[in-house]
Amino acid sequence: MEVNWAQVLFNSAITGSIYLLGAVGLSVTYRLSGFPNFAHAEFITLGAFISYFVAEELGVGLPGACLAAFMVAGIVGFLCYRGIFQPLSKRGASIIHLMVASIALGFVLRHVINAVWTDSPYYFTTVTFPSYHIGAVTTTSLYLWLVFSALALSVGMHLVLTRTEVGKAIRATSSNPDLALASGINTERVIGITWFVGAGLAAVAGVVRGVGTLVNPMIGWEIILPIFAVVILGGIGNYYGAIAAAFIIGLAENVGVVALMAVGLSAEYRIAIGFLILIITLIARPQGLAMLFRRA
Amino acid sequence: MGLLTFFLDLVVFVGIFGILALSLNLEFGFTGLANFGKVAFFLLGAYTYALLSQIGIPFYLCLGLGALVSALFGLLISLPALRLRTDYLAIVILAFGEILRYVVRAENIGGWRGMVHIPPVFTWTGSLLTYRLENVGLVFVCLLVFFAIAQLLANSPYGRVIRAIREDEVAAEALGKNRAKYKAQILMLGSAMAGVAGGLYAQYQECVTPGMFIPMVTFTVWIMVIVGGPANNWGVLLGAALVMLFDRGANIAKDYLTLPVDPHNLQYILFGVLIILVLFYRPGGLLKESQVKTKASEIARYARDTDNNKRS
Repeated sequence: MEVNWAQVLFNSAITGSIYLLGAVGLSVTYRLSGFPNFAHAEFITLGAFISYFVAEELGVGLPGACLAAFMVAGIVGFLCYRGIFQPLSKRGASIIHLMVASIALGFVLRHVINAVWTDSPYYFTTVTFPSYHIGAVTTTSLYLWLVFSALALSVGMHLVLTRTEVGKAIRATSSNPDLALASGINTERVIGITWFVGAGLAAVAGVVRGVGTLVNPMIGWEIILPIFAVVILGGIGNYYGAIAAAFIIGLAENVGVVALMAVGLSAEYRIAIGFLILIITLIARPQGLAMLFRRA
Repeated sequence: MGLLTFFLDLVVFVGIFGILALSLNLEFGFTGLANFGKVAFFLLGAYTYALLSQIGIPFYLCLGLGALVSALFGLLISLPALRLRTDYLAIVILAFGEILRYVVRAENIGGWRGMVHIPPVFTWTGSLLTYRLENVGLVFVCLLVFFAIAQLLANSPYGRVIRAIREDEVAAEALGKNRAKYKAQILMLGSAMAGVAGGLYAQYQECVTPGMFIPMVTFTVWIMVIVGGPANNWGVLLGAALVMLFDRGANIAKDYLTLPVDPHNLQYILFGVLIILVLFYRPGGLLKESQVKTKASEIARYARDTDNNKRS
């Protein structure tokens, strides 16, 4: 079988970009709030549905839909933190209770979405993208935009984290919350901001996934496992680690699918590749790639 | 007659989910392990039963081997995460459950359609009532055995060690208790119980499909344990009965009520809201954690009572 390796590499960049958008928020909130938020998957789903509603039913273009998805999911994420997780941890809930609450919240969000729309798949029709041929690679402008945005986001977030007041506050809270609080940083506000931005970015990942394939209530849950693999491989709360891990797992999945096809296994095992990396990370290097990016 | 058989069907389900709730209670309630992949071991038991019973192996062997397979996977899957924090174990087991569902869907064991015509334990004699009664008997014998095991464990020195690990891992380790070993043993036992429940489920339904083993199953068991009362074996059985009743009630109600919301979605939403409310207002569940019962504690209570009597 002839494999178009240039295409495989470009697809890896696409997968990696989506995982990066999905994982950044989860990784940072995991670190700052101290528990993995399983409802993060539903922010992705919510983003896809909001963008479908705005772009297809209201007829606003995709940029507007993207912004709407970011804002709505961001606000929902912020409210989830303020309304549920923060009060729960103030009442002394253990990490297991917080995880259970996040799974419960995930079910509520997913089935509210399911009740508002239905679970039959939706396809974007008014938003279309011309395809391009660049060398051996065939793609659409959507994915060019996606990869470009992911790169811009990586650089932009780096600048925010290192140069601005808010960014420095986030890093301080992440490395030592008590000391940050003692230095006059409003850590509650900082955590709230990361929930807002993290959920918003996850929603953008959902928009791209929705436009590229289809929109249904499982769209977020389907990619939550590789996203968790990215978070663990990158090191929890480590932004630079997450960037590296997202593209490593994107590459591993796309090369892995080629390998699966070559040995005659079903491409359904694609999801197992992220899991395999997750297991190997936990055995060999449970702190993830964190120490490689110590400057952060 | 119809009402009675309907009730017996509910009782079978309470029994099967009661076993699952007991196993999760051992893991989460007593040991503090977040098993978010209970459904994986339920699936393993069910598919093992389905595959083995079709080649004519007697049912008790199928159930036993299902338990064995589940226990082995429980051990294997926990090895990378047991020494790490609780949340890693939660993520790994959750992922395992999802992957397993993809595997049985992709493999040549029925695919997404699953397997039908699994031989039941009791041959059909023409009477639904007898058939259901026989199943109630079988399921409740298993439930009773596991309940006895869980109660004995909880009140033994072993039970005190696992409670100690739940409360403070490092302190337990400092007292010379190998926490990874205890956690692995509990996960194996819990998975074996879930495997038997899976076998019972497969033979009762007479079919297995990947769609029966969605993450919602795990979550239902979590609701049973958290509502009923973690670390209280009576409590989780109460929780199992209440949740199954609610589930059935909702199923009946949706035939008679016209709601603006699809009742299927509404049920999930209510489950989710319920658990968040319980976590907020009654994190200990309906029944409190059971006290350890040993000879020493009984004598101490006796001494205290007589002492109080003397003073009054």
